[in-house]
Amino acid sequence: MRFQIQRYNPETDKTPYLKEYELTDIPIGMMLRDALLQIKAQDESFTFRHSCGEGVCGSDAMNINGTNGLACLTPVSKLAEPIVVRSVPGMPIIRDLVVDMSQFYHHYRAIKPYLIVHDPMPEVELRQSPEDRDKLDGLYECILCGCCTTACPSFWWNPDKFRGPAALLQAYRFLADSRDQATNERLQDLDGPYRMFRCHTIMNCVTVCPKGLNPTAAIHKIKTLMLKEMI
Amino acid sequence: MSWRAQGLRTWLLQRLSAVYMLLFAVSFGIYLLQHRPIDYTWWSDLFTRPAVVVASLLFFAALLYHAWVGVRDIMVDYIHDTVIRFTLWILVTLFLIAMGSWVSLILLSMVEI
Repeated sequence: MRFQIQRYNPETDKTPYLKEYELTDIPIGMMLRDALLQIKAQDESFTFRHSCGEGVCGSDAMNINGTNGLACLTPVSKLAEPIVVRSVPGMPIIRDLVVDMSQFYHHYRAIKPYLIVHDPMPEVELRQSPEDRDKLDGLYECILCGCCTTACPSFWWNPDKFRGPAALLQAYRFLADSRDQATNERLQDLDGPYRMFRCHTIMNCVTVCPKGLNPTAAIHKIKTLMLKEMI
Repeated sequence: MSWRAQGLRTWLLQRLSAVYMLLFAVSFGIYLLQHRPIDYTWWSDLFTRPAVVVASLLFFAALLYHAWVGVRDIMVDYIHDTVIRFTLWILVTLFLIAMGSWVSLILLSMVEI
């Protein structure tokens, strides 16, 4: 099986380039992450991020044959050859497939990804009805792998100002939470031409999300909430 | 959230202008299909009615506003140099104002009050 893997060493290379590798032993059900580990055994200078190997940690987001995804959840048998693996687009490359995610985390921190409660804290935990808890389904599952945000053209054009689909999905996760009391502040913070309204419903985020989540729907719900608050 | 919320207001007005344009285009189209064949006298008589002229003026206002926001969105996405973007935006605004004035002159010159 033929692979073309993006390689980049900042000390020796001016720009990233693709390097050919060949694997002969492909067991049934082999995921791309396993293949990359075999390639790393061939060529120890190659590096990529990975950890849990089962789509929970979100470390091995990469661009596989032109589409973002998690290497650990992508079976090589479903990929056309040569399998072209690059780092996720729109992020500064540190080395090979490893990118600098600082900008991504900056936007995540900026939406205040924690409950804000103005009332005095109760002595027991904050209660929530099962119905209210259900409203967080499809939101809390995000593993922050960055597949969606780095597939978003709006994020490519304005990475410093547009929050990106991952952060906006999380913004709605806290807006939708019955225990959160900062609805108005959160909405005010997302107004303006850049932070949320750069989204043009391109929906690349929905296509690539390895967890099957829908940031576009979440962004739409934030807009609906804003409208309700205004009226 | 208040009406001064700039991002929300622009987005909402652009959506509303689209709804109006859709309603106008569909209903005007159906109306035209019902009155075939259309000749010059029928067409110029139609635009002497104030209701038609007002509805058409609103359509062009919606169209120009929609275009204004749309072009600004494209420029915010792709042009990051403030001076170039500002200059282009002024030019686009002037162009749209000129188009709006022209279409208003034509429509208002036909109406019989």
